[in-house]
Amino acid sequence: MNGFLRFGLMLAGLIVVLILTLAAFQLPIVDSVKLIFEGAFADKFAWSRSAVKMTPLLLTGLGMVIAWRAGVYNIGGEGQFVVGAIFGAAIGKALIGANATGMPGGSVLILCGCAVGGAVWAWVAGWLYVRRGVEVVISTILLNFIAIQLLGYAVSGPLQEQKRQVPQSDLLPESLMLARFDRQTDVHWGTVLAVVMAVLLTVFLYRTVMGYRLRLVGDNPKVARVNYIDPGKVQLSSMALSGAMCGLAGGVEYLGLVGQLGTTFPQQWGFLGIPVALLGGLNPMLTAGAAFFFGALFAGTENLARFTPAGTTIVYVIQATAVLAYVGLSGLKKARPKPEEETESTPS
Amino acid sequence: MDMTANPGLHVENIVKRFGSLTALDNVSASFRPGEIHAVLGENGAGKSTLMGILSGFVVPDSGSVKLDGEPVPVGRPFDCKRTGIEMIHQHFTLVSEFSIAENFAMSRLPGLVGASNVSERSQPSLAAAARLGWEMEPGRKVSSLSVGAQQRVEILKALGGNARVIIFDEPTAVLSPDEVSDLFRVLRQLRDDGHVVILIAHKLSEVLSVADRVTVLRRGKWIASAPIADVTERTLAEWMVGELPAPLPKRSESNLKRGVMAVDVSVLGDRGETAVRNVNFQIQRGEILGLGGVDGNGQLELAEALVGIRKVIGSLLFESAAMDPAKARIAYVPQDRQHDGLAMGMSIEENLLITGHRKPELRSGPFLRFAKLHKWSKLLVKRFSVKANSPADRVAGLSGGNQQKVVVSRALDEQPDLLVVVNPTRGLDIRATEYVHSKILEARDGGAAVALFSTDLDEIYALADRVMFLSRGELIEDAGSESLFGAKA
Repeated sequence: MNGFLRFGLMLAGLIVVLILTLAAFQLPIVDSVKLIFEGAFADKFAWSRSAVKMTPLLLTGLGMVIAWRAGVYNIGGEGQFVVGAIFGAAIGKALIGANATGMPGGSVLILCGCAVGGAVWAWVAGWLYVRRGVEVVISTILLNFIAIQLLGYAVSGPLQEQKRQVPQSDLLPESLMLARFDRQTDVHWGTVLAVVMAVLLTVFLYRTVMGYRLRLVGDNPKVARVNYIDPGKVQLSSMALSGAMCGLAGGVEYLGLVGQLGTTFPQQWGFLGIPVALLGGLNPMLTAGAAFFFGALFAGTENLARFTPAGTTIVYVIQATAVLAYVGLSGLKKARPKPEEETESTPS
Repeated sequence: MDMTANPGLHVENIVKRFGSLTALDNVSASFRPGEIHAVLGENGAGKSTLMGILSGFVVPDSGSVKLDGEPVPVGRPFDCKRTGIEMIHQHFTLVSEFSIAENFAMSRLPGLVGASNVSERSQPSLAAAARLGWEMEPGRKVSSLSVGAQQRVEILKALGGNARVIIFDEPTAVLSPDEVSDLFRVLRQLRDDGHVVILIAHKLSEVLSVADRVTVLRRGKWIASAPIADVTERTLAEWMVGELPAPLPKRSESNLKRGVMAVDVSVLGDRGETAVRNVNFQIQRGEILGLGGVDGNGQLELAEALVGIRKVIGSLLFESAAMDPAKARIAYVPQDRQHDGLAMGMSIEENLLITGHRKPELRSGPFLRFAKLHKWSKLLVKRFSVKANSPADRVAGLSGGNQQKVVVSRALDEQPDLLVVVNPTRGLDIRATEYVHSKILEARDGGAAVALFSTDLDEIYALADRVMFLSRGELIEDAGSESLFGAKA
């Protein structure tokens, strides 16, 4: 089946799940759907909220695509997101301390720092896997915990605000924040960056030699080895790249939205990127579609929460159901027996 | 046994379509008890589909299957087993971490609850082993057995039930000549016990030596059924393809140039064991060295060492310099196409690209040049007549033979300096085998040093200019062939 067709079917399925979930929460379905739709698309504020929610989801989702496509199951998006932001905040603090907040390209510098931070964090797990055989799923989950503790230490220690009252970093000056398109809304350049990344990643995966090698290693590392491609090297770089993308997500959230780090900075975008990438079939453009869908759903259910007792919890229910359905259905497809031979040969 | 008016297994007017392709077109055949009935056909002829229908894995579009006059449930593998139809798969269905007895008991377990009673439930299979003259240590782990022994376990597992019909899918592909003759002895015994024995095969000589009756399929159609006494190798081949292979030319002496030189080469296996021990040989450019012997005697390790992906202890030289995959063009057809040869989740084109992505004309900087790539892959698919609608089709959807063509075509796309092939025609039909053989000869005549690893002696003797045998990691000179290496260097 064509990837886009499958994606369309999946979206339709998700909407059915949404309706069933609303029913389970005993909410009036028509009114609730209307509220969600309005919250996501009614006016420019709604659109802006959808886009802002989509941005980190898309970047972490793309991060998952890179690693998973190489056969490395990075579950550590959250940790890479956080460590990326810590690196960025450190650069931010240094710029403030050096009175260089007005320097041109300051925000780009911070974003690069975030990408490096995420890459380093993921590289640790990649190295442990490639050189020491430690399962990435395990190591990245553990590194998530360490990253959270690291954040707690950073914002109550070296990166804490100058007043030293609250465990949080100083608010970045406007000059270092990512520019917004409209003073009234929150949409910032990070959204554009995320979409550009999706396009770049598509080109990388499907049009370049390195992207091909990455997919080959993910599909069958033994074939790669037999053909003089070192799977370990490819997987290690894919992990670093994946971490960089998640670190960038942290940077975009930091520079685009909140402007300071605190213990409430992690909002699980790193975890949520996994279902987004899965629903996107590990294809960057479809992942962008999935990220937009869930971004809109977040914005919409926030609106729903204003009028009903149900909150954004609904999104998590839908995500979980969707992932289970996805995994279950792909399992079903595999389980179906098919004859080993002849199914395809066309008498010419 | 109830011998009704119509004993045996009868398929009537079976039709099976996959999309636009008719895999079986109104096929009927009768398999009688007390007969070894061989089913012959090229890749894509419909053999596997037919066997899939008999064993319940494939549901036919129309037609019926009857065993001793009773209709067999179609599309329900467990019910087929219960009615006494057992299939010995090419890829064994054993749990390798279980003991032999546990594997025997496996298919007769009572469901989720109840004691496993392994020793009791494995009795029928062990009794069958005694009857067939096979020694089995019930407590031994299957993973510690050789391929041939595993096949015996597979056969005995099938015989533990009320097997009436036993289908063997290419059983000799993995066996040594000794094991093959033992297997044939067992086939005959099963026949004499009154079983319906069905043998799916490629090799005409084997069919002629063991079968009592033969049925030939071609492109989904029934072509002929005949007692074996009425046919010759030539008639069978004609039924299968309509044309016959020509004899193969040997090397021309003028082509000989320096090639591979191995002095005291040892190679370690995956578990650190010495898989290849102190071997010495030479392969000149323009000649084929046949390396025969039973699987698991160091072939895989030596082949991987030759292509430079496994560490070598000793000295392995190409053109008097250390073997370097970056300098010499090495082409490799690995033994196990599904594990080492193909990325099953990718398309045909992407699988061709495994070697193709190194071709300068197919890339520009970091990018792949898709227009050229499409042209190139179409050309290869056409040249090797891979049966597919388009190179964009998934390679997993191809039959085994066509998958092998993908592996071979990409290896032999360019003239290599060194060609290492391991069982290059396993699972291929006559026409494809002939084509692959001609390509190997072409590579040789183009100046490649060719190492041909094969468990198929016919293949070795047909192609190789010199023959050696690998046994427990050591090389044995073939008595019947001249030695170019002479005394140890």
